[in-house]
Amino acid sequence: MAAAESPSAALRRRDLCSRGIRLAGKMRADVVDLLDAYVEQQGLDASASVAAVEGVPLAAVERWDEQTGTQRLLENLAAYRAFRALLAQMLEEQREQLGEADAGLGRALAAVLLQVSAFAYHLEELLRLESRGVPGEEGDEEEEDGPPPPPRLSLFEQKLRGLGVLRELAQWAVRSVRDLRQLAKPSPATGAAPGLVESP
Amino acid sequence: MFSRWNWVACGFYLVLSICSPDASSGFVQSCGHIIPESPVLALGSNFTALCILNESCLDFGNIYASQIIWKIKNRLVPKEQYREINRTVSSVTFNDTSSLATPLTCNILADGQIEQNIYGITVTVGLAPEKPKNLSCIVHQKSKFTYSMTCTWYPGRHTFLDTQFRLRYRWPEQIFPDCIPKDVNNSCTIDDSQFFVNTEIWVEATNALGKAVSDPLVVDPIDIVKPLPPQNISITSGLLPTVLQLVWENWISDAVMTLKFNIRYRIAGDTNWMEVPPEDTASPRTSFSIQGLRPYTEYVFSIRCMKEDGVGYWSDWSEEKTGITIEDQPSKGPPIWRIIDTSQSPACWTVHLMWKALKPYEANGVILQYELTVRDKSSLSSPVKKYNVTSTNHTLQLREGTYEVTLMARNSVGPSPPSVLLIPASNSKAPVKNLRTLPKHDKLWVGWTAPNNYVLKYVIEWCLMSSSSDCIIEWQIVLGDVQGIDLKGIKPFKCYLITVYPLYADGQGSGQSVKAYLKQDRPSKGPTVQTKKVGKAEAVLTWNHLTVEEQNGFIRNYTILYKTIDGNETVVTVDPSKTEYTLSSLTSDTLYTVRMMASTDNGSRTGPDFTFTTQKFGKGEIEAIVVPVCLAFLLIVLLGVLFCFNKRDLIKKHIWPIVPDPSKSNIAQWSPQVPAKHNISSKDQMYPEGSFTDVSVVEIEADDKKSFSEQDLKPFDLLKKEKSTSEGHSSGIGGSSCMSSPRQSVSDSDEGETTQNTSSTVQYSTVVLNGYRDQTPVQVFSRSESTQPLLDSEERSEDHAGGADSTPQRQQYFRQNGGQDETSTDRPCFERTKQITHANEGDLVGFVQLQISGQSSQPLGLGMEKNIEEAAVSNVLQTCTEGQTVRPETVEENPLSVDEMPKSYLPQTVRQGGYMPQ
Repeated sequence: MAAAESPSAALRRRDLCSRGIRLAGKMRADVVDLLDAYVEQQGLDASASVAAVEGVPLAAVERWDEQTGTQRLLENLAAYRAFRALLAQMLEEQREQLGEADAGLGRALAAVLLQVSAFAYHLEELLRLESRGVPGEEGDEEEEDGPPPPPRLSLFEQKLRGLGVLRELAQWAVRSVRDLRQLAKPSPATGAAPGLVESP
Repeated sequence: MFSRWNWVACGFYLVLSICSPDASSGFVQSCGHIIPESPVLALGSNFTALCILNESCLDFGNIYASQIIWKIKNRLVPKEQYREINRTVSSVTFNDTSSLATPLTCNILADGQIEQNIYGITVTVGLAPEKPKNLSCIVHQKSKFTYSMTCTWYPGRHTFLDTQFRLRYRWPEQIFPDCIPKDVNNSCTIDDSQFFVNTEIWVEATNALGKAVSDPLVVDPIDIVKPLPPQNISITSGLLPTVLQLVWENWISDAVMTLKFNIRYRIAGDTNWMEVPPEDTASPRTSFSIQGLRPYTEYVFSIRCMKEDGVGYWSDWSEEKTGITIEDQPSKGPPIWRIIDTSQSPACWTVHLMWKALKPYEANGVILQYELTVRDKSSLSSPVKKYNVTSTNHTLQLREGTYEVTLMARNSVGPSPPSVLLIPASNSKAPVKNLRTLPKHDKLWVGWTAPNNYVLKYVIEWCLMSSSSDCIIEWQIVLGDVQGIDLKGIKPFKCYLITVYPLYADGQGSGQSVKAYLKQDRPSKGPTVQTKKVGKAEAVLTWNHLTVEEQNGFIRNYTILYKTIDGNETVVTVDPSKTEYTLSSLTSDTLYTVRMMASTDNGSRTGPDFTFTTQKFGKGEIEAIVVPVCLAFLLIVLLGVLFCFNKRDLIKKHIWPIVPDPSKSNIAQWSPQVPAKHNISSKDQMYPEGSFTDVSVVEIEADDKKSFSEQDLKPFDLLKKEKSTSEGHSSGIGGSSCMSSPRQSVSDSDEGETTQNTSSTVQYSTVVLNGYRDQTPVQVFSRSESTQPLLDSEERSEDHAGGADSTPQRQQYFRQNGGQDETSTDRPCFERTKQITHANEGDLVGFVQLQISGQSSQPLGLGMEKNIEEAAVSNVLQTCTEGQTVRPETVEENPLSVDEMPKSYLPQTVRQGGYMPQ
């Protein structure tokens, strides 16, 4: 994977993994806190079941152990790009619904959005270190053909979708930590690079 | 009235509008303008402005560029800086914009001297912003989920212009909104800070002259976090008295940041913090057990935290929490000491035992009581006495002896180890040596040299000396290996008496004492001096010692300063032990002012002035003057007396004129006892051996016939001594006046009675010459001072002698040497003086009889002649003592001629109703 990785690149990769793990851990903690606030704010039942969010790859995956590093990074990047769009949409909807009345929830949502963006940046950097090109965002590609009009959802459906986004994000944060730890393990070819065994 | 003023105001405004350059766009067009319009210039740069005239004005008013003058404010710009570009454009150049000011105006000199403003601009001069430096950021945790990042920088020099600073930050693919500082230009706070992404932060400074950008700071905000300190700290005491457990909560989750901690603690009331070793708390945790604490002690705890890897900032210290460890039994026995009072009886002691309460870290709890045990070591049979005491002292009545006192302090857990004090019968062991003190800031160090023997402990007693109250003893016990301690609580300027006792295993050494001051000052007052005794050239001064409260230090010496009013001050230094001093070599009869100064090591204080005046004369001087003067006076008197005595004849001549000798008168013949004729040619016959002259003067009132009776004449019997015959002979009536008793007659005659009553006063003088021993007196004569004509007396002698009726009213009787005083002064000259005995009063009256050498007096009467003779002898003896020349030889030297030989009358008997001349 990084057979010809230079010491500085290895250090950079290690640093990115470390920060990514920490960021994912914090993101999960913040999302969990945000979930409680969101459920309370939106008047939802915390135990309500929500269907899978469209456009977000599922965190749960079979044969996770068999995935390559690049594959992990690509799946993570796709997921967090989707979360970034969804969270931005949620933030917009939140402002439309509550205005400035609940600035706290909006700030927390914006903070999570920033963390998602930051994590996506980490993933892109890691992909660059893997000498792999960073795939373009789907939105950019679709802009040429014109994006399909988003399905118009009712207010309750928006709330449920938001709940589903946050739940899936929390799961993805856990998976991302595990993915990055897997990536951070020293490869046989890069034995000089110290392994990272950090808990989120 | 009001409308008229409105019209004037409107007209004035119209004129201003025409002249104003700003009115060019209005209905009146300006005659020119300046390029550039209101520029912003860099300080120190050069600058050129152009004034361009309108063509219309050229035609209208014959105005050309050559007439343009430039002004800065109201100051004319030198014409060297002008340049006429063409007939409508003039330029002005400034090499340094620092000389510029606002406004810069273009003016025209119309019609020669009339100056008219064409246009003006505002010039702003400043500096371009400097590159901001020293950018640094810190992320403050505001709450559990919010963090704000504050960045500060150095904005650079003042630009004199409006300069905007903005803090910018970004991720590689995301730019965040700028942070614009409010009210300041060197810091800005970003409210939402996201962790785990390297953020590029920089500062941009912008003003009209340019823009400057700081070096970027790339940092992950998680590495510059200052977290909130731990909260909800609780402290629980465990089973052990030396352990407390702290439990707390962290504001920040482990998902964000793992923490390490610092724990500090101190004893409540103490200011010194102790800290748990950092390595013990370098891992994430929410509790910690602190060990090694003191039992039953209140501790104050505080915690702080930071990122576990040490990158970032420590949080503030948490709020302080207190916890108390549980009790333990006392760690040591109380220090104990004693004071033995033997004032009642040497054999009966009043022992005041006193001990110090244990310090909290020694008591380890609340002391419930002290258990005191007294054992009489001199008598093994005596029972051990035990006392439970709650105070820190106890008084015992003990017989003189050796005792062992044991003391234990007990709290709820148990007793302390015992403290043992041995009270020996006598302090006969060796004392400490070389006891000394040394002030050290606010402490007084006491040091000593240990005795040669092994010392268990030392007891240091000290007390504040006072003149008004007893010394209240404080004490301290130190171990035997200590040879000096610092006494605390010592007040400056106070005298302390410090005593050190060595305690041995088998006894106690005698105490050594020293007086000491922590700090000395000059005395609070000076001695009051006064004189005890003042002499002519010296004065004894006395004063009282200052009290110990007034001394403020060791009195090193007294200084006496004394001076006269106009003289120099003399200084005398006196030993401090003295209370008296004698000033010598003073000037007599001079006012002196004296004052006294007491000196310590740190200064002196002078007492009040005292004045005294030395005496004019010294001791004995007056006596030395008076005594010689008196002696001289006495000498002069004596010389005068001698002179008078020597010149008595001359004096007598002048004072007592020579009275004719009555013996020569015929009246002498009337005496029937006297032989009518005496052979007076031979002096032996006249003064055989010891002649005697006895003169008595008796005044008798002539008109009282009774006065001549024996009662009136009795006092005259007392005559003891006789004058010498020569005196009586030579002086006669007049001579006696120069001596003593005869003076009476003089005074009598001075009183004028004699002269005035010459017809009534008759004076008689009787001179009796006794014969020697049993010889018959050869001659007896008497003399009268009667002023009566002698012839008349002679003629009337019969009448005179026979009847007193015809005598003058006053008569005087002379008795030789009749003065009593002389009798007393001449007494030593006599071998023996016989008292005068009274004669038979029936027959004799007032006759004086003097005897010599034990001859008894005999009654007067028929033996009269014999007695008179003996008296004459005694008078001769008497005169030798007086140094007079009245000796028998003297008589020989002054033989009386027959004519001068007195002839006296001597009535031998006195008849009743007559008188008795003596």
